[in-house]
Amino acid sequence: MSLSDLVLSIADNKQMLGLRYAEWATRAPSLEADIAAAAMGLDDLGHSRVLYGCLEPLGSDPRGPERESDAGSLRAIAYFDKPWSEWSEFVAANAILDTAFTAMIESCVNGSVEVLQHRLRKMLMEERYHFLHGRSWLKSGISAEPLNRAWREAIEWFGPPDGEVASFHRGGELSMGPRELLTRLEEQLETKAPKVEVDWKRWDPVRRRSRPGAIDEPTFAMLRGLEEKRFAPSSAAKDS
Amino acid sequence: MTTHFKRVSGDAVEYEVFARKTRGEALHQVGSVVAPDDDLAMAYARATYDEERWCEMAIVRKENVIELWAPGEA
Repeated sequence: MSLSDLVLSIADNKQMLGLRYAEWATRAPSLEADIAAAAMGLDDLGHSRVLYGCLEPLGSDPRGPERESDAGSLRAIAYFDKPWSEWSEFVAANAILDTAFTAMIESCVNGSVEVLQHRLRKMLMEERYHFLHGRSWLKSGISAEPLNRAWREAIEWFGPPDGEVASFHRGGELSMGPRELLTRLEEQLETKAPKVEVDWKRWDPVRRRSRPGAIDEPTFAMLRGLEEKRFAPSSAAKDS
Repeated sequence: MTTHFKRVSGDAVEYEVFARKTRGEALHQVGSVVAPDDDLAMAYARATYDEERWCEMAIVRKENVIELWAPGEA
């Protein structure tokens, strides 16, 4: 696994987080929260574009043609497989997963790889407001199930203690390894993660998750532009 | 889709939002937001009023503004 693989994982997760945020732009508990969901969605979609743009300068772009036909080839975590049906799921993603991705970006910015140091820095400023939003809603109290699921998936996404994130930390490319990332996340959220036992033998190091599955078909079709094509005029209609 | 939250919270506070585009101009009010705490108010103000490239943005609780006189009293 290369650093490009990790950056692609951050990019795919940011893209899915942005899309799921955007789905709540008219369904949040207040008009302000609607606007915040839309703004955070735009931020994260923009961040994913910047991250995809880092792959080539990093020396290898792991994206293959399978991404056009196999939803399971995308590297997003299971939390984003389906649209969220409850506001609690939004809040848990906003507070825990978004902050986990930011911790990893911070680790890249403070690491030794120049392209990541320079291109990802601005994200940290924008993410401050995602964090404030998530932490505040988290304090208002949400149901335990999505919260525990988000913690588990964040810990799995950081990776095993002896995996490649730990190795990049030892090599200086990242300023934090899995343990430091979790500590950073707990400090920021002013809470302790629940006890999570991960069977790392079942963990997929490419997708950085244990659960099988993939994003839902409509979302995958939208990502490939197929949903837009459904509504575009046919070539026959255009010619007439 | 369902949500267990009311769209308007009873304990929400109104905040005035101020901003300026350059250091040379004065801060002026650009709008307001309603939120239950300062953190959320900051997030909402930034999300709602980010249409300009502000060099500074600040929020203040409306209840903390000390009014010298009101319209019609001067």
